[in-house]
Amino acid sequence: MPEATPSQTMTGLVADLRERLATVRRGGTDSSRERHLARGKLLPRDRVDRLLDPGSPFLEIAPLAATGMYDGAVPGSGIITGIGRIEGRLCVVVANDATVKGGTYYPMTVKKHLRAQTIALQNHLPCVYLVDSGGAFLPMQAEVFPDREHFGRIFFNQAQMSARRIPQIAAVMGSCTAGGAYVPAMSDESVIVRDQGTIFLGGPPLVKAATGEVVTAEDLGGGEVHARLSGVVDHLAEDDAHALDIVRSIVDTLPRAEADPDRIPVEPALDPAGVGEVVPIDGRTPYDVREVIRRLVDGSQLHEFKALYGDTLVCGFAHIHGHQVAIVANNGILFSESALKGTHFIELANQRGVPLLFLQNIAGFMVGREYENQGIAKHGAKLVTAVATSVVPKLTVVIGGSFGAGNYGMCGRAYDPRFLWIWPNARTSVMGGEQAASVLATVRRDGIEGRGEEWSAADEDAFKAPIREQFDEQGVAYYSTARLWDDGIIEPADTRRVLGMALQVVNTPAPTQTPQSFGVFRM
Amino acid sequence: MTSVLFRTVLIANRGEIALRVIGTCRRLGIGTVAIFSDVDAAAPHVLAADDAVRVEDYLDIDAVVAAAISAGAEAVHPGYGFLSERAAFAAAVAEAGLTLIGPSAQVMEQMGRKDAAREIAVAAGVPVVPHYEFGAGEDVGFPMLVKAAAGGGGKGMRVVRRAEDLDEAIAAARREAASAFGDDTMLLEKYVEHGRHIEVQVLADDHGHVIHLFERDCSTQRRHQKVIEEAPGPTVDADLRRRLTSSAVDLARHVGYTNAGTIEFLLDTETGEHYFLEMNTRLQVEHPVTEAICATPTGATIDLVEQQLRIAAGEPLGLEQDDLQIQGHAIEARIYAEDAFGGFLPQAGTADLVRWPADARVDSALESGQVVSTSYDPMLGKIIVHGPDRESARRALIAALDDTAILGITTNTGFLRGLLAADEFRDLRIDTGWLDSADIAAPDRGLPRVLGAWVVALLAADGHRDAFGADGFRLGGPAVPTRVRLDEEVLVDLSAGEVSVDGAVHRVRQLSADQHVLVAEVDGRRVTATVHARPSVVEVSYQGQRHVFTPPDRAAGAQVVGDGSLTAPMPGTVLEVRVEVGAQVTAGDVLGTMEAMKMELSLTAPFDGTVEQVGAAAGDQVAMGHVLFEVAGESPGSAGESLSHRS
Repeated sequence: MPEATPSQTMTGLVADLRERLATVRRGGTDSSRERHLARGKLLPRDRVDRLLDPGSPFLEIAPLAATGMYDGAVPGSGIITGIGRIEGRLCVVVANDATVKGGTYYPMTVKKHLRAQTIALQNHLPCVYLVDSGGAFLPMQAEVFPDREHFGRIFFNQAQMSARRIPQIAAVMGSCTAGGAYVPAMSDESVIVRDQGTIFLGGPPLVKAATGEVVTAEDLGGGEVHARLSGVVDHLAEDDAHALDIVRSIVDTLPRAEADPDRIPVEPALDPAGVGEVVPIDGRTPYDVREVIRRLVDGSQLHEFKALYGDTLVCGFAHIHGHQVAIVANNGILFSESALKGTHFIELANQRGVPLLFLQNIAGFMVGREYENQGIAKHGAKLVTAVATSVVPKLTVVIGGSFGAGNYGMCGRAYDPRFLWIWPNARTSVMGGEQAASVLATVRRDGIEGRGEEWSAADEDAFKAPIREQFDEQGVAYYSTARLWDDGIIEPADTRRVLGMALQVVNTPAPTQTPQSFGVFRM
Repeated sequence: MTSVLFRTVLIANRGEIALRVIGTCRRLGIGTVAIFSDVDAAAPHVLAADDAVRVEDYLDIDAVVAAAISAGAEAVHPGYGFLSERAAFAAAVAEAGLTLIGPSAQVMEQMGRKDAAREIAVAAGVPVVPHYEFGAGEDVGFPMLVKAAAGGGGKGMRVVRRAEDLDEAIAAARREAASAFGDDTMLLEKYVEHGRHIEVQVLADDHGHVIHLFERDCSTQRRHQKVIEEAPGPTVDADLRRRLTSSAVDLARHVGYTNAGTIEFLLDTETGEHYFLEMNTRLQVEHPVTEAICATPTGATIDLVEQQLRIAAGEPLGLEQDDLQIQGHAIEARIYAEDAFGGFLPQAGTADLVRWPADARVDSALESGQVVSTSYDPMLGKIIVHGPDRESARRALIAALDDTAILGITTNTGFLRGLLAADEFRDLRIDTGWLDSADIAAPDRGLPRVLGAWVVALLAADGHRDAFGADGFRLGGPAVPTRVRLDEEVLVDLSAGEVSVDGAVHRVRQLSADQHVLVAEVDGRRVTATVHARPSVVEVSYQGQRHVFTPPDRAAGAQVVGDGSLTAPMPGTVLEVRVEVGAQVTAGDVLGTMEAMKMELSLTAPFDGTVEQVGAAAGDQVAMGHVLFEVAGESPGSAGESLSHRS
């Protein structure tokens, strides 16, 4: 019998497969890889390896896509897709390879990206997109842009999955232009690498052509812009490795299939008993509410969301007595940005099924022409709507003032928190006594002066004093608790313990209910 | 055989020595009472005793005596330290009708005063370091120590090595002494340049019987703190031993000493002369090395605490001098909670994981999970080994220290190991000054890092035993190594047995990994390490040294670094401006305040620097984002957020 040639034996065939895979794993040409590295970026496979848990396997999907197509110029179709473990959770990873044709989307690139999304959708796996792409490969736009299974379907899928509570997370580690900009923009939570990632619908050349404006890529849509000003991204990373760490920490806030063996309730690093000391009794004196949070949460660890944006509201995930909790805490007046940030964060909490905790110390929303003209009422309404329609349990602790619409946006009694506690220093009223007195006095003065009469300062003071008194009397904690506007006044030092118990209560699963049309009536 | 010596003994001490005494009492059927301060309420010695009484302070004589009475103790064992050499305590115990397990208050008083003890030694014919008043015409030879008769604390003291330097040294020392003590009387004393610290253990009963239990060498000291002790003295020959021990016995007999005591001598290594230093009227920390080497005809070991109890109970010594023989060699190492490679700073914290060696005597009160405070002596325990000769004992002690792992707090274990392995120690080239100048290199972190990373990878692989197990599987290609983040990034390939750190590849063959202990062959060399890996920190104990590897917290949010511009965080009114252009400010200084929306905001300097611009005056209405202050600093990156207190 004649000897079989290597290509005729399984061993030979496997050797050939391995060789092909090894070639594809190298990605683009040596020179393009060197250029990529020279920019301080990690190669896409290194990004995937660092994103995954140490030692995690990676079940790669369609590694040899585009083999023998496009003159062999697009190894792996310029994108890496697969399933691996991140912080213990199985996730679908989609990573552009900018060393292959700038990470642009060829028809097979789109197909592979969509295929990965389909797997995520069918198996309910969180998606992590490591974006570094010039967008559609323009010469083949007719084969990537218009049809049902083309580029637009990527964002359709993101929206569909997010609606089905399949987390969509993006890290912008390079260009993210035109349609590509929607990958992070359509994600639930996103990260950008400083001085490296850019997001814009039209890049500087297009802007110049369209409007004549000359602008750098960084000023147009760099990390600082999107993390601080636009809010298009939620986290600003120093480099690739940092961005991947942030993505991992985001994934760590997602629900788990099984209990986390490593999650042992730990005491805060800062003494919880001292929490009352960090809050000034005079509501006028500002402080950083993170100082309060650090004394309430396990290990004093807060995974902060949008730390650089809308910074008068602090949002973040943490644990209290081992229970995950999504914290929304006032750190000043509510602006439009803080309201939008809070709304987004409440959506995340609902998507991830994490109970919300509101730490209320709010004088109200910002007032003034500029803010009203911006539509702060509309943005505030988004926050109020999100609070009102949340399906996860809500807890509220009033740790300072609770005034005006701030009370609504921060889950006051009317917004059905499962529990609402107040601290002894809490003040609750539609506005401060002085403000109320001034408002009423102004109205009265206008009336008196309209009639051509005079109103002396002494008369005005005499008018204002009882109003102030009334507000002061009705604003105090004991007035509130006497009327069951709250579930009790608690010592600041007990707050962590009380919240731990409350979280245990709200997390106790309800028995599966079959609808019944009658109560129990005695026979 | 005999009736119980005492029904109940109170141990007026804590830590390992309290446990040590309790152990012997229990063996002899004696009930035990511990005392404890608030921080020690659940300490091992409290749990080990039959009863325990709280005291405010271990040094409170009245409280300790009251505790003994209330607990029904007949006798009090003082241990070492605390009240053990306080004559007033001995007197108070006697006055209360209790027995102190130690000498009488009177002997304690006599031997406790250095000048008096020296006179007693002279009277007993025991050699002391010769000194004479200057001008008395006596010659002590060079080198000599010139010191003030009234002196102390090193003042008015000079070492003189040559005759021609003497006059000047005397003059200088006189001036110092006159101003410091108002008395310029000078003493000339023989200066022992190279000495060893040798001490003799004695036992004396109430019936006039005094014996010695040979000598110990405690020359390895750091700032007069004993670190390593051994018995017998490795440089002591039969003749010297005869001289040392007879001096000790003579002195004890001369003062009418009873119970266990130790007479300390300075041995001049050049002349072989020995000089009395002082007497310790109590049990010594290092007594176990004596217990280890004393052989009796019956083969029974000697328990010095038992001997103390018997003597205190009035029994005659059951041992004759001729019964005792030296058998082999013993060395003890003292484990302290201190960072020997970090300026010997005392350490405190929780000892999360404690492993003591199995093949050595360990006298310790430290257990896993115990909190170590700086309230008391930093000694955590001692490890004692015995071997047929000094070299085997030395090697055994090194092995025992290698098997010792204390994680959670840093100890001097690795340093002790380094000392024992030093050629100077092995070759007996040390004196009492050696350790103060010895350069023991800090252990290398390379190998511990490799071992720590290996365990982290092992645990990762162990965490998921399913098809997604952490073995780095890739389709049709080699597995990807496990990336372990310690202080540096380490790549571990478990299946290939390779660990790479910064490009250097180490071959690792795991022999066993169980209960935190990893035994492996690294680059052909057998190593054992204790590893405690947690997500936030990995600790490795290798050769006794604790190595802590903390991965950088990279997920922490991007640091908001101020660029020196302080802007109005919201529209409002400037209340106060505290600085002018050109003012020097330090980070955190309040430059001004403003009021907005009922809140008062402080604008603080983000870093040290100079105010270059003031953008508003008190009373001004400012828009959000208005630049209020501009600070130029040397290093704008060094400080934190400029508006950390914003509202």
